[in-house]
Amino acid sequence: MIKVVKTIAAAAIFSAAVLAFSGCKISVPNGGSTLKDEPDVTFKDLQGKDVSLASLKGKVVLLNFWGTWCEPCRHEIPILIDLQDKYSARGFTLLGAATMDEEKTVDQFIHTTQFNVGGQQALMNYPIVMNTDDIATKFGGLLGMPTSFLITRDGKIYKRYIGALDPIQAQLVKDLESQL
Amino acid sequence: MKPASRFVHVFALSALFLIPAAPMAPAQDAAAAPPKPTDIVSTKTYVSLDPVPRGKEFEAAVVVKINSGFHMNSHKPSDSYLIPTTVTPQLPPGFTMAGEPMYPLGKNEKFPFSPDKPLNVYTGSVTFRMKLTADDKAALGAAKIPVTLRFQACNLSACLPPVKIPLDVELNVAAAGKTAKPVNPEIFSTKPTSYLRPRTRPSGGSPGL
Repeated sequence: MIKVVKTIAAAAIFSAAVLAFSGCKISVPNGGSTLKDEPDVTFKDLQGKDVSLASLKGKVVLLNFWGTWCEPCRHEIPILIDLQDKYSARGFTLLGAATMDEEKTVDQFIHTTQFNVGGQQALMNYPIVMNTDDIATKFGGLLGMPTSFLITRDGKIYKRYIGALDPIQAQLVKDLESQL
Repeated sequence: MKPASRFVHVFALSALFLIPAAPMAPAQDAAAAPPKPTDIVSTKTYVSLDPVPRGKEFEAAVVVKINSGFHMNSHKPSDSYLIPTTVTPQLPPGFTMAGEPMYPLGKNEKFPFSPDKPLNVYTGSVTFRMKLTADDKAALGAAKIPVTLRFQACNLSACLPPVKIPLDVELNVAAAGKTAKPVNPEIFSTKPTSYLRPRTRPSGGSPGL
């Protein structure tokens, strides 16, 4: 009997070690988590005001790195507008971080470019900030655009999505709802 | 229980612990990270004559091979907001360029992120050509002409940041009248009929943004 208990204990320890070294993040019930903390970064918005990620704690955030020059980034904007419409009242916000763009270009883009969202024409309806190389580095470097990070209410990175979101929209919504 | 048998039991039980743990563990990434922009192309430069006599026009070429699954915007992309591919020589003293570099025509292709609007892109192997002349001020002997290749590439779901790659066109400058042997005919013997019509410009400049 003691040998059986020892075997089970050894298996449990081995499993924990495998999970720890495999890079898997395990959501722990009761609010605890082993997810990675969001980087301590502060963006500038288009008026030059500071917007720190920490200031958004308490909300679920989808941080979307995008560029006006990036066709897949433009393609997914209707999805992002729709998410902001549907979930902002439930403690969610999108934050668009314009990358390798000029403020003037971004400002003009967000005020003039209409997107077809469910048959209606709509402008971008979520806050836009300017990304920098330093901030990108703190997120591990951004090799593919768009790249989005789903950040929990307590400021932990839940998942990273590289590439256009439309093929994985259902999964994204599922992930998002799991955090609201 | 023998030690070997005990290990088997530990592994078997570990599998039972790990299988239910997998679905509750959110993956860090929903997709694999793409490579660096510089890793998706290979580049090579060529000249049409060896040596290049002073006063005789010659051609230089930059051949870019783009990895399968990737494309880059052409020199005349479909929309003004897309970043065009450019090659910009920084001509040393004694070299002039006739007009602008010659850019191949792109191909119109649709992508999952642009299903209705074809984008004008380069894929596979593309060759950019420049008509150059070394004049009396060009130093005799081995010379290098720096060229900056700038492009912005994407795959089927994501785009890589725009990048500039510095290259060198290497050549030998000889005295005027010296016999010049045509080289690299596989690059230069074809007439560039599938190239954009170059606009006239006096010479090369800075690579810009």
